[in-house]
Amino acid sequence: MRDAWILARKDLALFLRDRTGLLLSLALPIFLATIFGFAMAGMGDSSQRRVKFLVEDLDQSDVSAALVAELEASTSLRVERVQDSRRKVADGDAASALLIPHGFAADFGTDHAVSLKLYRDPGQIVEQQVVMGSLVPALARAFGASMSRELVRRGLAAFDFPVRGRPQAERVLEDAWASIRTLAAEHSTAGDGASSARFDFSKAVPAFFGLESEDVIGSGKAAHRSAMQSHAVSGTAVMMLLFGLAACGATLLQERDDGTLQRLQLSPASGVSILLGKMIYTGIAGIMQLVVLFSYGALVFDIPVLRDPIALAVHSLAVVCAATGLGLLLAIVCRTRKQLEGLSTLVILVMSALGGSWFPLIATPDWFQKLGHFTLNAWAMDGYQAILWYGKGVAGIWIPVVVLMGIGAVTIVIAVAGWRRRFEVGT
Amino acid sequence: MADMSSVPSSPPPDSGRSTPVVEIRDLVRSFGEHRAVDGLSLEVREGESVGLLGPNGAGKTTTLRVLSTVCAPTSGLVRVFGMDPVRDARAIRARIGVVPQEVALYDALTARENLAFFGRLYGIRGGELRARIDRALEQSSLQDRADARVSTYSGGMKRRLNIVAALMHAPRLLFLDEPTVGLDPQSRNHVFELVERLIASGTTLLYTTHQLGEVERLCQRIVILDHGRMLAQGTLAELARGAARVGVRSLRVEASSRIDEAALLLRARGVPFVMEDAAPSLEDIFLTLTGRALRDEG
Repeated sequence: MRDAWILARKDLALFLRDRTGLLLSLALPIFLATIFGFAMAGMGDSSQRRVKFLVEDLDQSDVSAALVAELEASTSLRVERVQDSRRKVADGDAASALLIPHGFAADFGTDHAVSLKLYRDPGQIVEQQVVMGSLVPALARAFGASMSRELVRRGLAAFDFPVRGRPQAERVLEDAWASIRTLAAEHSTAGDGASSARFDFSKAVPAFFGLESEDVIGSGKAAHRSAMQSHAVSGTAVMMLLFGLAACGATLLQERDDGTLQRLQLSPASGVSILLGKMIYTGIAGIMQLVVLFSYGALVFDIPVLRDPIALAVHSLAVVCAATGLGLLLAIVCRTRKQLEGLSTLVILVMSALGGSWFPLIATPDWFQKLGHFTLNAWAMDGYQAILWYGKGVAGIWIPVVVLMGIGAVTIVIAVAGWRRRFEVGT
Repeated sequence: MADMSSVPSSPPPDSGRSTPVVEIRDLVRSFGEHRAVDGLSLEVREGESVGLLGPNGAGKTTTLRVLSTVCAPTSGLVRVFGMDPVRDARAIRARIGVVPQEVALYDALTARENLAFFGRLYGIRGGELRARIDRALEQSSLQDRADARVSTYSGGMKRRLNIVAALMHAPRLLFLDEPTVGLDPQSRNHVFELVERLIASGTTLLYTTHQLGEVERLCQRIVILDHGRMLAQGTLAELARGAARVGVRSLRVEASSRIDEAALLLRARGVPFVMEDAAPSLEDIFLTLTGRALRDEG
């Protein structure tokens, strides 16, 4: 036992002197817990996150304006008035959009009433729930009275008792609607299962209001599962690519430690050639890694990698470029392999958590999404989701591609400068 | 950085026995306040084998690093094949070979793959590359293990491969930085024979070591450095002759039959003395010049 304690004390002393080990075992979990804590807290908090909701008002009537005003008053939605709303949802600009068609107000309450259209992206199921949670009450507030009156009118007309032109009957209907509203308000304030009641209500009422839903990409739960699988494969691919390329960058430090770097520096090969050789190797290793993981995703999860192979290749090259630059930069910044191991683990895990490699950024608060886009992971994920889920081509991913190439260029330039300062011979 | 701007870079001169392959004048290389090399002047002529001797921190490795273009001189004139190591670094690197102190090979590659890689770096291709690989394997007696990974080699095998990897491009000037550290007598002897063949073939050699016996065996000329300065240089015989000038003196008793009597007289007078039958060894000279205090690097 005494020997065991002597050994344990020695290991504890070594552990406490290993700054990298301490960083990974103590600081990293704190970092990650902080990130997850803020992200998860914001997921269900509408005050921190308003879902983007597109409205296309072709009717331009007082009725449609009243509905839009109700939606804009919602604390859960960020309403944007647009044209071509269906395409925008299909392109991934928003989780859903409401089309108010021509003649909606004019035909409202008639037998040939024109339906409202709700375009949905089934890959964003959480957003759909938020939208419905705000849309249904807005519809109720905007049209509830008229709809219920119209229903009663139709019922009475069926009994050969038309309400129109009978002021007394009209007054009874008004009073009845006022009573229903009061009752609903008291029920909600009492808090007796209000949220679950509202949830059921929201499922039933859209049909009542003549709201037609259309999934513009895929359909239903299968589509949602497919979107999640695309995200999981892309997220894992990006995170593991970063780990892989950081390890490739680490070979630079290994060569220095093994003495082979100096041997290379003593050859006629220029310093830039040596670094370029590392970049080419790192890049090819990264491409191999992505090809293997996406092929696996295609085989097992049916990820549509061949939907637009050119876009996928262009975006993957941009991702590899950015990750290569980052990997080399980390290798050049660090003095030892152990330091690199610690720093790269910290940077990559934090970037992966912030950048949406582990969970979709769309489900996080707005500020978290903005923060996430300071990482290359977020841009990589944007591009992959655009290609694999929204079916975009090269033209649809140019922003993430340019950003990633920019990240690659900046990190490579800094890495080359650092290389010249630290490793170039003759200094 | 060195102020070498006033020194014109000249093309390499024709090789001849009298041409200096290495020319150093008043070389200073500082690291911060510390002068690793302090006013060193030295010439190495084509075909010469020169041993650089010195305790730890004497400036041997720094001198080799300057000559092999790895670090720039702080001041002074340095020419390798008549070229400036700062401005003509790539041309110099193509002509020199460096055997580093530590084994610097790719463990996961085979000996043949290592040799092919280093050969290609120097632009050697095809049949010429294959021929040079075969010759290197023969020189290092590694033909039988040529296709085994270097990680499976013994220390001696790695050392031999480490040396021949630096010879793939047939350099005219070879720097060997303590190439026999940690080798058993057989492997050391093999390295000596390899180096002797190189000397015989006309390769110019600059050899650093702590092993004085190696210098005595391999080097025509010996340069003793300490604190970045040259203390002495010459052949072993010249150093022995000059030893008196640097502190080692001998007292010759003309009547050899009375040598014991002379010793008694000295002892009676309290004069410390050493009675030896032979000329001072290189180790005596070295310790006399550089002192006996331990030199710990760090």
